[in-house]
Amino acid sequence: MNPRGSVFSAAYALAFFTFLFGPLIIMVITAFNSSRFPRVTPWECFTTGWFNVLITNDRLMSGLLSSLFIGIGVIVVAVPVGLAGALALSELSARLRATLYTVLIVPILIPGVVLGISTIVFWGQIGRTLGGPAQAFFYNGYFLTIAGQVTFISAYAMLVFIARLQRFDATQTEAALDLGASPGQAFRKILLPFLAPAIGSAAFITLLASFENYNTTVFTILSGNTFTTALASKVRHGTDPSLSALAVIIISITLIGALTHEAYIRRKTLLDSGKAEQSAIFGNPVLRLLTHPGAVLALLLCIAGGLVWLGSKHDSSVCEAGILEEKRAIQRQLQEEQRSRIDAQKKAGGQTQTPAEGGAGNPSPFGGAFTGGLAPESAAPEPAAPSNPSPFGGAFNPGTLAPAPE
Amino acid sequence: MGNFRTAFNSFAGRHGMGVALFVAIAVAAWVILLIVLPQLSMLDYSFRHNLPASQIGGPDDTYTLENYRYFMFGNDDGLNTLDIGILLRTLIAAVFVTILDVMICYPIAFILAHSASGVSARLMVIGLIIPFWVNEILRAFAFRVLFGATGLINSVGLGMGLWDAPVDFIRADVALYSGLAYAYILLMIFPIYNAVEALDRAQIEAARDMGAPWWRVHWRIVLPIAKPGIASGATMVFMLTSGALAAPQILGGPSSLWFTQVIYQWFNQSSNWQRGSAYAVILLLVCIAFVTLMMRVFKVSVGEIGK
Repeated sequence: MNPRGSVFSAAYALAFFTFLFGPLIIMVITAFNSSRFPRVTPWECFTTGWFNVLITNDRLMSGLLSSLFIGIGVIVVAVPVGLAGALALSELSARLRATLYTVLIVPILIPGVVLGISTIVFWGQIGRTLGGPAQAFFYNGYFLTIAGQVTFISAYAMLVFIARLQRFDATQTEAALDLGASPGQAFRKILLPFLAPAIGSAAFITLLASFENYNTTVFTILSGNTFTTALASKVRHGTDPSLSALAVIIISITLIGALTHEAYIRRKTLLDSGKAEQSAIFGNPVLRLLTHPGAVLALLLCIAGGLVWLGSKHDSSVCEAGILEEKRAIQRQLQEEQRSRIDAQKKAGGQTQTPAEGGAGNPSPFGGAFTGGLAPESAAPEPAAPSNPSPFGGAFNPGTLAPAPE
Repeated sequence: MGNFRTAFNSFAGRHGMGVALFVAIAVAAWVILLIVLPQLSMLDYSFRHNLPASQIGGPDDTYTLENYRYFMFGNDDGLNTLDIGILLRTLIAAVFVTILDVMICYPIAFILAHSASGVSARLMVIGLIIPFWVNEILRAFAFRVLFGATGLINSVGLGMGLWDAPVDFIRADVALYSGLAYAYILLMIFPIYNAVEALDRAQIEAARDMGAPWWRVHWRIVLPIAKPGIASGATMVFMLTSGALAAPQILGGPSSLWFTQVIYQWFNQSSNWQRGSAYAVILLLVCIAFVTLMMRVFKVSVGEIGK
């Protein structure tokens, strides 16, 4: 590649990964700002309190339990079904294979909303027809969610198995059969062990997909909640940084997992290459122990645990009280100014005007923004909230209040 | 049917009767109980009246086109411009997001396949995957933090004096489109990467040696190879974007609805499942028709998807 081209690729890759990670990094930072609205500027206090708020959220935590239950159910059903699909595809004639492949892959493409609706409508009808305990069983948030999710998550599992099966050498089975193994034995002793790693990754992808799913689950869970639907309703009805705290936890777990996995892969390729003994890292017993995936995992967990412990010791209440006092002072000052302005107006015009009490001491988060609306004339010179289209703008942004004349 | 029987027999011969039965039953249950019957049942439901539970199955429970008529004409006889408009807007926005994703992902897939090597390529792959382990809802939330009225972009823009008043990115749907494009990047990159990786570097070198400028190398050599990957990625991104519910609920402006939100409202706020089903059927058919049309235009088959 010519130098200009490689400079361009590097710059593009940099820009791309900034787009990919920027939003996440900013979200992580907001988890530690004491401001009640998740944001980076203005920075108020460093706090770890949002993690507490998160853990004490009962709805999310009970949703977590049902998500785990559903996830296990989906693994138990979707992995075998996906395996069956992949095996069936490997055996069919080309034309039938194309047809079946299309039918099985379509659930991935169907909008999740449509899958959710069709699932509740179908099992609802079955339940109504059967009546009694069957209805209670089929028309139940857990059952419906597992059924709806399995419909398309099985296809993910199937794709994993297809990729693995493509590398399978069918002559191994032939050889086993020639040597007198029964077909069932050949399957258990040859094909199944070959597929074992794929079963692991399929189970993992299945769990993740089930946990993450919103579009289907929001219909099929009926009046209940999974972790993701509880999260979504929390985001829709007003946000606070405890969600950022959740993101911090998820990203940390992901990073620990990714690094451990990387250590595992490195070690495996090194051992497989046969040159492990000559490598500088593997030759040294201390380094060899340190780069073992287990050691990497333990080290990372220790670091994470240490940070959590440090974080739980951190107390930001003094700093937060300071910020609150500062805000109150600014509000008092504004109140004073307004009062004196009204007095001046009264003296000047002799007319009575409704006292504007917008921003001052108003507990409502909208207070600041409405100041301008309630008392447009008297408040005009003050920079509190004019021309702010967001209802939260004024109240949450002491930065715009600060430049008020001393 | 005969084909299935031969396949079943050869399968039983190779892997044993137990395995063959398991595969046959599992696949049949998947196709019939989970895929085909629910869709048919939803289709059937969409042609029915919204009756109270006691009257279901009674003499009033007849088939009707009312739910579809409502989508076209609303309560009076004029065109139902509101719902039709939302559907069109959703489709256009989904096309826009898909094109955006192709433009973002094609260069990075090419770089990943042909410029990066060794450690940097591995790092890039890990870097691509990590953001997608974070919950979809949280990713949308991150864009809300970024684009909100007091968000970082507004603070920086105001601080640098680029604009005077906070810009409402949410209302302008900027947040929604970037959030959606972000959400499905991975589904676009990997198909394109798989397709482009098959390209022999010597072909690029040859074209360059013969004096082709970089854009012609891409237009004549890389793009034709990448086409199935792009088609497969674009299909997935389009279908998922037009069927997205979480991102529009979280990032959508107050005045703009996604078609899935209309369906959601019929179900959860109006409790009119029949009409919701009809709308879901409409969404499904329109999306499938559109994707099929596009595949015809670009000459790709469904079998390429997911590979």
